[in-house]
Amino acid sequence: MVLDYYWTLFIRCFTAFLLIVVINMGEGLQYCHAQLATGSDIPVVEHELSNGMRFFVLPRIESPTVSFVVQYQIGSVNEVPGKTGLAHLLEHLLFKGTSTLGTRNAEAELAIFARMDAIQDSIQMIEDKKSNAAKVRSLQERIEMLEDDARAYVLPNEFERILSNNGARGLNASTNTESTTYFVEMPSNRAELWFMMESERMRDPVFREFYTERNVVAEERRLRVDTNPGGLLYEAHMKKSFDVHPYGQPVVGLMSDIQELGRRDVQDYYYRYYSPNNTVVAIVGDVDPFQMKEWAELYFGDLEAGDLPPPVTVLEPEQTNEKRVEVVFDAEPQIRIGWHVPEEQNSDVAALSVLSSLLTGGRTSRLYQRLVVKDRIATLVTSVMGPGSKFPRLFTVEAITLSPHSTSEIEEAVYAELDSLRHNPPSESELQRIRNRLEAGQIRGLTSNLGLAFNLAGSASIHGDWRTTFRFIESLSEVQPEDVRRVVENYFTPENRTVASLLRTNEVPVR
Amino acid sequence: MIPHICHNSCRIAAISAIFMIISSPQEIMAQNPERPKIEDLKFAELEFIPPEAIRYELKSGVDVFFLEDHSLPLVSIYARFKGGSRHFPRNELGAASAVPILLRSGGTADLSPDSVNKLLEFYAAETSFGGGGGTSFGSVNMLKRHLDDVLEIWGNLLKSPDFDSTSIEVWRGQELEDVRRKQDTPGRLAISKFNHLLFGDHPVGWELGEDDLEKSDLTKKILGKAHKKIYCIDNLILGVTGDVTWDEIEPRLERMLLGWPECNDPLKKPPPPSTVADYGVYIVPRDIEQSTIILGRTSEIKLDNHSDYFSSRIGNSVLGSSGLTSRLMTRIRTEEGLAYSVASVWTAPRSSQGIFGIMTQTKSKSTVSTILAILEVLQNMSINPPDKNEVKNAIDRIVNGFVFNFQNPGQIVSRQMLYISQGLPLDWLTLYLDGIQDVTTEGIEDLFLKYLPAHEMDKMVILIVGNPDEFDPGLSELGTIRIIDPEENFSGKSYNPGELSKVDANMDGNDTTSKKLPMHISKTRISH
Repeated sequence: MVLDYYWTLFIRCFTAFLLIVVINMGEGLQYCHAQLATGSDIPVVEHELSNGMRFFVLPRIESPTVSFVVQYQIGSVNEVPGKTGLAHLLEHLLFKGTSTLGTRNAEAELAIFARMDAIQDSIQMIEDKKSNAAKVRSLQERIEMLEDDARAYVLPNEFERILSNNGARGLNASTNTESTTYFVEMPSNRAELWFMMESERMRDPVFREFYTERNVVAEERRLRVDTNPGGLLYEAHMKKSFDVHPYGQPVVGLMSDIQELGRRDVQDYYYRYYSPNNTVVAIVGDVDPFQMKEWAELYFGDLEAGDLPPPVTVLEPEQTNEKRVEVVFDAEPQIRIGWHVPEEQNSDVAALSVLSSLLTGGRTSRLYQRLVVKDRIATLVTSVMGPGSKFPRLFTVEAITLSPHSTSEIEEAVYAELDSLRHNPPSESELQRIRNRLEAGQIRGLTSNLGLAFNLAGSASIHGDWRTTFRFIESLSEVQPEDVRRVVENYFTPENRTVASLLRTNEVPVR
Repeated sequence: MIPHICHNSCRIAAISAIFMIISSPQEIMAQNPERPKIEDLKFAELEFIPPEAIRYELKSGVDVFFLEDHSLPLVSIYARFKGGSRHFPRNELGAASAVPILLRSGGTADLSPDSVNKLLEFYAAETSFGGGGGTSFGSVNMLKRHLDDVLEIWGNLLKSPDFDSTSIEVWRGQELEDVRRKQDTPGRLAISKFNHLLFGDHPVGWELGEDDLEKSDLTKKILGKAHKKIYCIDNLILGVTGDVTWDEIEPRLERMLLGWPECNDPLKKPPPPSTVADYGVYIVPRDIEQSTIILGRTSEIKLDNHSDYFSSRIGNSVLGSSGLTSRLMTRIRTEEGLAYSVASVWTAPRSSQGIFGIMTQTKSKSTVSTILAILEVLQNMSINPPDKNEVKNAIDRIVNGFVFNFQNPGQIVSRQMLYISQGLPLDWLTLYLDGIQDVTTEGIEDLFLKYLPAHEMDKMVILIVGNPDEFDPGLSELGTIRIIDPEENFSGKSYNPGELSKVDANMDGNDTTSKKLPMHISKTRISH
């Protein structure tokens, strides 16, 4: 469906936008002298292809560059136990090229893949891998040899090479609980190259160099989690907090699962769920929206719509008792305290966001003043809601202790500050500071093409409407002191919280 | 072109070159006949006149780089001071490091820290203060309607800070904790040890230790003295961008600078680094399943030697600074799956020695094989030097991506301020672009033969944070092995690694060299 209404609306906006641009060649090209609209008033142009793929274009002429963000609405929440890390590994493999890109002979490669897949099937059928370690290793070595054979046909990293040689910046991707995002910035005269490259890898990806890349992901896990105290604590906290909801699964995957994933697992998953009707694209920069629309149709229009991932219906049961977990690691202590709170669309989330700002947003915030300045028991305190936004999640306070103080002291101080809020709502002057910051933040958010593109894609992908995030931020200004007090009362109870502490061996309390 | 310095309202270098970027067709076939083949893609020339900052001089002689941008109701002011922690002796390192951070948190002569915080947050101003060795900086971004109020506070934070004693103690506690936590993260521990190992007792190798953080060395009086040395008007360069005209901002800046003290003495240039480490292997034992590896050595390339300098930019891009397509990433990550990331750095300071270094992480049992693979890739840079395609690719990515140097006015103004503070010509960016395009395959081959020849792969300092009991065999072939205690040497006191190290009895190695090496991975401290 083509949303012609938006195009008509855009023509007016864009024409007005152009007319107020001042160009004085004698002085060199000046920056736009018209002030941009902010929030949900920015002139975003929407276009939906007949296959359901949605494009959001925001023209900005500050510099001849353009940011592209592609977001698939699929992430770790869609994974089943035993296959964790699938979406993240797949994210890596979409950089491996296509049947025409990154290969000297795709046919020969595919013939070898079939043999590798057959051996991987044998490995996956071995139930007791520990007792059959030698056999497993032998089969893995055969796969590695075959992958080396296939490598003879590979032109490595060709996808990145072409884009980078054409001036691309920041080519990368990320996977989180609910989405997988690919992004890059290009000189605006090369926008069509992006359409060509991105559509080709969406249409015809080849999951080559799979087993080598699986090892790369294993190293990534070692780097981000297994040798990283903050990563270990985060993973343990999520696991303890969510008994049944997939928010408890690590996005990077468990090591045991990563090492079990096969090439065909990833390929099948891709062709099943990474369809155009599950994809949004945000384009922000010095581009002509009409040209973007034309190229969207030309390059992505013939992709076939497919299945959407099954909805995540599992609900985390209400937590009725405090849960605690201690992570033992050779590092100085830190702590995470999380309370279950609703998903982002819930009406309480505005007050919870203001609470987050009140507790840890800036030097005047309550927890910073209490923990860092007054009591001097922490060097840093932050708060965040997550790990995702679509489902009920956690409001987490995280703090780094200041030696010789303990995580227990942090807990006591945090609970005391929340108690204080439970009985006395925040002052008007505190809220005014937060409102002022929100207003300025809205404006500053417009300074980055890539940041805006992420915002548009994320909002459209997760909430269905690019305006949702902007409107949510606007709604924060309406939060009243009593709203903040009420959410503290409702959610910040002892039985609703999960506490994760990182401690050295000799510091684990006896329980 | 090198702009001339002018006084009041004189615009310099109004028109720059138009960058024309030529397409480079690729050999991919598009499958749908309606879609063009990639080799048929034609890209329009990117005719772009980069916006340039106007340079003004205030009555006090302070230079201001100014670039209007009325697209949003925001104004940013930047201050850069020539001089930083590198211009202080070791016994004043704590004070020199404290000053940039405490400018923001310590209050002013008129306002308590709490009042400053409340006001800046009420006005929703964003500030940043910091220092990076040889220079110091501060900036503020505000809504235009708060320009007067915020500028007054920000100017006073820079000009007449109070260094409130509670704020000093908060900072001191945070830094002491930071020292304690250095060894918690392997990458950070590796960089810290490597810096100290190679630079030893020299400003570029110093890191704050407990000895630098004695309460008696961080009094208000001592901090005030350190502040006076750097944050004086002769060291100052200003920048302004945003929704403001020069006529609006000039009187405000003049007012801000009234009474700003002059510098007492010119800053003394720090002595060249005295390097301390021998080539060989240094292990920082940690019971973890992944090793962090840094290997490197000194480099004599100087920025002023343009031919070698530009060849080293392209050579390093081919080797390991260009992401997935570099030779190192292709071999270590893409082909062998040994690491998530591997990257090389090659610095070229103007006066002292620079560094060449490579960093990666790999599982314990592939530690030695990864080091050997890295050395082989490096060795190949002179045996099989980059061919025309590799060199062209590296140049293309810089030339075609050149517009990203002009994405916003703050980027443009900050760059000009940096150039002038470091004594570079104001059109350095253009010179850089020209220099890069003159690099040849022969130049890069000569570069590696001269600075990193194949027969000198044993002349490397190799630092590993990891569990040596789990390493794969062959480590002793890499040179003399020394064990470094992870819990020592953070005090800031100079030390001789040879005195503290021991040769592991199970890892007999051969000492290969007596040459001393410098190494530096830069540190920047920022306070928001």
